[in-house]
Amino acid sequence: MKRRSILILFLALCAGTVFAINEAEQDSLYRLFQIEEVEVSARALTKDIIVPQTLKGEELQRLAALSVADALRYFAGVQLKDYGGVGGIKTINVRSMGSQHTAVFYNGVQLGNAQNGQVDLGRFSLDNMEQIQLFHGQKSDIFQSAREFGAAGNIYLTTRRPYFKSGERTHVHAQMRFGSFGLANPNIGVDVKLSETLSFTFDAEYLYANGKYKFRYKRVLPDGETAYDTTAVRHNGDVNAVRVEMGLHDYYSNTGFFRIHAYNYWSERGIPGAIVNNVWRNGERLWDRNTFVQAEWQDEWFNRWSTRLLAKWANDFTHYKNYDVKLLPSNNEYLQEEAYLSFANKIQVFNWWDLSVAYDFQYNVLDKQNLLLDESVEHFDRYSHWLSAATAFNVQEYLRLQASVLMTQITNHQSPITKPKFTPGVFVSFRPYPKIDLSLNAFYKQSYRYPTFNDLYYTDLGNADLRPELARQHSVELAYRKTDKKYDLSFSASYYYNRVTDKIIAYPKGQQFRWTMLNLGTVKINGVDAKADMSFYLPLRFVLRTRLNYTYQTAIDVTNPNDTYYKDQIPYIPRHSGSAVLGLEWTARRGDHYGFNYSFIYVGERYSQQQNTVYNYVQPWYTHDLSLYGEWGIARYRLKADLEINNLLGQDYEVIQNYPMPKQNIRCTLAFKY
Amino acid sequence: MHTRFQILKPFTSYHLPFTILVCVLLWSCRKDEVVYPTIPTDVTDEVQQGGLYVLCEGNMGANKARLDYMNLETGTYYSNWYGAQNPKQVKELGDVGNDIQTYGSRLYAVINCSHKVEVMDLQARHIGQVDIPNCRYLAFHGNKMYVSAYVGSIADPELLGSVFEVDTATLTITREVKVGHQPDELCILDDKLYVTNSGGYLTNRYDSTLSVIDLTSFTEIQKITVGINPTRVRADEQGHLWVCSQGNYKDIKPQVVVVGGPRIQTPCANISIQGTHAYILDNENKELKVYSTINYNLSPVTYHLSSFETPYGLLATADAFYVTDAKNYVSSGVLHCYAYDGRERWQALTGDIPGHLCRVGEAMHTDTTDTVTPQSAYISRVYEYLPGMGQFVNMLPKYETGDDAQAMCRKCEQAIANNAGGMVCLGGWGGYITFGFDHPVENLEGRDIQILGNAYKMSGNETYGSSEPGIVLVCRDENGNGLPDDTWYELKGCLYDDPLTDHHYSRTYTRAGDTLQNPYHNQPYYPQWITADEYTLYGAKLPSQTEKISGQVVQRILEYGYVDNKPNKDKDGTSFDIAWAVDANGLPVTLPSVDFVRVYTAVDEINDPTGEISTEITGAIDLHINN
Repeated sequence: MKRRSILILFLALCAGTVFAINEAEQDSLYRLFQIEEVEVSARALTKDIIVPQTLKGEELQRLAALSVADALRYFAGVQLKDYGGVGGIKTINVRSMGSQHTAVFYNGVQLGNAQNGQVDLGRFSLDNMEQIQLFHGQKSDIFQSAREFGAAGNIYLTTRRPYFKSGERTHVHAQMRFGSFGLANPNIGVDVKLSETLSFTFDAEYLYANGKYKFRYKRVLPDGETAYDTTAVRHNGDVNAVRVEMGLHDYYSNTGFFRIHAYNYWSERGIPGAIVNNVWRNGERLWDRNTFVQAEWQDEWFNRWSTRLLAKWANDFTHYKNYDVKLLPSNNEYLQEEAYLSFANKIQVFNWWDLSVAYDFQYNVLDKQNLLLDESVEHFDRYSHWLSAATAFNVQEYLRLQASVLMTQITNHQSPITKPKFTPGVFVSFRPYPKIDLSLNAFYKQSYRYPTFNDLYYTDLGNADLRPELARQHSVELAYRKTDKKYDLSFSASYYYNRVTDKIIAYPKGQQFRWTMLNLGTVKINGVDAKADMSFYLPLRFVLRTRLNYTYQTAIDVTNPNDTYYKDQIPYIPRHSGSAVLGLEWTARRGDHYGFNYSFIYVGERYSQQQNTVYNYVQPWYTHDLSLYGEWGIARYRLKADLEINNLLGQDYEVIQNYPMPKQNIRCTLAFKY
Repeated sequence: MHTRFQILKPFTSYHLPFTILVCVLLWSCRKDEVVYPTIPTDVTDEVQQGGLYVLCEGNMGANKARLDYMNLETGTYYSNWYGAQNPKQVKELGDVGNDIQTYGSRLYAVINCSHKVEVMDLQARHIGQVDIPNCRYLAFHGNKMYVSAYVGSIADPELLGSVFEVDTATLTITREVKVGHQPDELCILDDKLYVTNSGGYLTNRYDSTLSVIDLTSFTEIQKITVGINPTRVRADEQGHLWVCSQGNYKDIKPQVVVVGGPRIQTPCANISIQGTHAYILDNENKELKVYSTINYNLSPVTYHLSSFETPYGLLATADAFYVTDAKNYVSSGVLHCYAYDGRERWQALTGDIPGHLCRVGEAMHTDTTDTVTPQSAYISRVYEYLPGMGQFVNMLPKYETGDDAQAMCRKCEQAIANNAGGMVCLGGWGGYITFGFDHPVENLEGRDIQILGNAYKMSGNETYGSSEPGIVLVCRDENGNGLPDDTWYELKGCLYDDPLTDHHYSRTYTRAGDTLQNPYHNQPYYPQWITADEYTLYGAKLPSQTEKISGQVVQRILEYGYVDNKPNKDKDGTSFDIAWAVDANGLPVTLPSVDFVRVYTAVDEINDPTGEISTEITGAIDLHINN
């Protein structure tokens, strides 16, 4: 076993990233920037019980996607809320439980927004991203921080890590992207090997888009005559953003490493707003600065005891201003700070039995000031403690079990200390045939979504007495994988039943125009996800890759049989949705690549409100995206050019009602690496 | 939409993914989006008069303001009535409905977040709109509409709002006055306008005043302190103002303040005054309280609304009262109709947040198979008919015992409206008819209106024939009340400047003078539906053109500008240009369009044996409408 392979494998297993270890060895030219020669078989105990959905490396780059949000559309069971354009907010909802039940981890540490619990995934660029994974339930590795046991669905974003071949000391990646909406998007990344164990990475990106695009509303009368057909230009959708990231990685031994990562993001953007009758532009502006620094140290002793320490400090500033003289003038500033510490331990009791314990602590503070009314700063804070215990064991080769319990205790600003909440999770994987990669996986898990500062304290609307919202998930999955020199196939189908109770919703207060937040609402979700990933290694160095996803979901409101919307599908959850990706790549003898990638996304009919009436009906939408690319090696340099055409047929569609999406648009990327 | 694609089949053994793709593509067909339908629902067999408009607010940003209509005469509730009437309105009615009222023959709706007042006819057909930023509520006076708005035409750093004055004829803003913070309801009493300054944007510093605006100078002359956060103001028959003050939702409780009267401690989400009773919607205790507007006492009759989730809209009318339940604000509400004995008469499912109700006297034509009637080129309505005494009076149209002036107008409509092809006789000098179309007739290039009569030319003679000229007057609905009670302008004909034309002529017809029966027509010649024993008509008299040629009594045909003067087949000769309009002093006026047309007999002359010269009308056509 080569030393580096061991190291890489270790990293992969410990740091929460799973590489496709069984992938057939292919022409190494295919993967110039991927890890080479990963050839170890992992300890069965650490293999995934819940197989994550993964997009990584070249596959990620091939998708016509700009942000993490665009890429997540290709996962099964995921619904993206997209308000349109480069700068529009994009959040995701996993298996219909609500976006706040999904946790997003950036290099292993959760991204937070204590104010509203939402992470805008449109802001995370794919340029620095090595891998995106989605786990339903939780990552089925018991060696993780306590918080990771806390959410109903977890997304792991992993940024590029430096890998140097012998003799290499520096990698440079420079890229320029142009496109519709006035997009200009330069990016530069540098990796430097400082010593045998220590390396440094730097990545910076500037994004500008004027955000202008044409959109069209057309309606017909029942007899087919055009009722109206209007095309207008989206305004106030511009965005100006700078992202700078730096990392220091010290893989100082076979078992231990230390990493530190700093992230800074500045942006100014317009909020284009809803297009309604007589209103074709809006004037809200938003300034953001997100800063965080996180450090991670991990090591192992006596081959049995692994320890990980994580620390993070985040400081987020938001300034919101409404320039629209027709509306409520606003000028608000929000400052959030977060301090986070995590201490995780895993002990291998026997070869077939692991135990883990982790404790996390987090402090959040939000300062809010209404500059317009010159009111004093409102200050809210929160102390959170998580304590997790988990175990994993194998019964022979064919049955693997994991169980975890998480204790959460959150004390909000000036509230009395609340009783801790306990949430269990049980994961089982059954693999009947040792030689066939067929497994039956199942899990049950409870998780809480805690009220955000907005839910609790929003002016006149917040309700400090809110309880957390509870999600119970039941899921079974049948997965099959077959790998050969000529193909790589993987299929899976899962059925899930989720129940969300004590749902936090805005409810009229009994006084006019006034709302309050209440724990009212129960949603029952039944769904089926089916996935097929197929790669075929064809003659003449052609590779054909396809990725198909289909999701069927019913997510019905069962709060109260007297409601007009009782048993109606909850808003913006389609019954049918799916995606298909088809890629064909050809590699020339000297290693140049040429390829095209076609992707199709379908989101079925939905309703914009609780009640499933014709007035709340939202049409299905589907888009065809096409990209063509070529990659050439010149001496030790690599050049890449990529042309993407999105929404090829120019469909006029809306993901969220009254937020029109762009028609056909293009992007062109030129990249240079050495 | 058709999805075109080509199937590439380079590797036959790998066609499975292609097949799946093809299936996905074919399955995903997308229909053309059809406008939202209107859905009729029968909700009751009980019959009331007229109809009820229900403006559902819809949530901000949802663009789901919806105007529903309840036909009280058929008991049918129509969702999205406005949409059915105006399917071609881009992005429908708009975002957040906030007020609805009728004034004259028009319906006005405030669409708050579409920043407009939608102006419709009583059938809810779009006429126009007035753009007013963040507009809230309406009031009317004379030919003006007053609109409160949270912001003025120029945003004020103090966050003060404005009241805009709008000319209902031209739908243009004429004046603006700055008032207090976030003005809501307004009310007009004795030439003064009172508007509630709510301060709704200033959570911890609500306003508590009424601004008093003098309508003549359009300036704020006074501020009356009422109670914290006033949102509604209504006047009772005694001339007192009832103000609903919402309190600060914390320690200061809501109350109803009667200006110059008592303060009534009660939650008051809504108020409606009917007769000598003020109906106050107590949304917290879910009941409707009734107070006397005479002694302010609480009536022992209280209507309990305990089944309601969110009592919201309210309208008390003479025969019933209506209360809406907004439920959870994001799903359909319910409209409840109650009799005053407390019995629920019916209920209907509405759109989101049914907040604003408005009763209309006459039920709308609710045949939904034909709800989109294009503008008609023909007369749609006869407003007035008063002939001078004559041999065809009481015959064309036929008077029957019990008919009043209104009934006669309806009979005239049956004769000549909608290209019916019948005939109406205006009788002797001064007798007139006033009619209109279902839209204003625009003053465009060239002739605008053709008015048909029964004139003819002598055979083989271009100069003489049967000409019974009538003068044409036109009028704009300046006060927007839908009635022809505004300034009239004469369309200047060829004899206008003739020295023999008497512009200040009048004639009095008396019942006693009804002795002129000729042998052919022996019915009374005095209009029998007139209850008075005499009436006087005023106007211009044209000189007689009658001559006897070849033994025939004929008239010289006038060059242009008169009804029933040239044969109908002479289109130009029977058509009129609104550009000919002159005022009382004979000065030309420019009218962009006219709403009403009046024709009167202009010659005062009786001939033997043909009888009096009387203008006849057989129809009229708006030349700018092609149908």
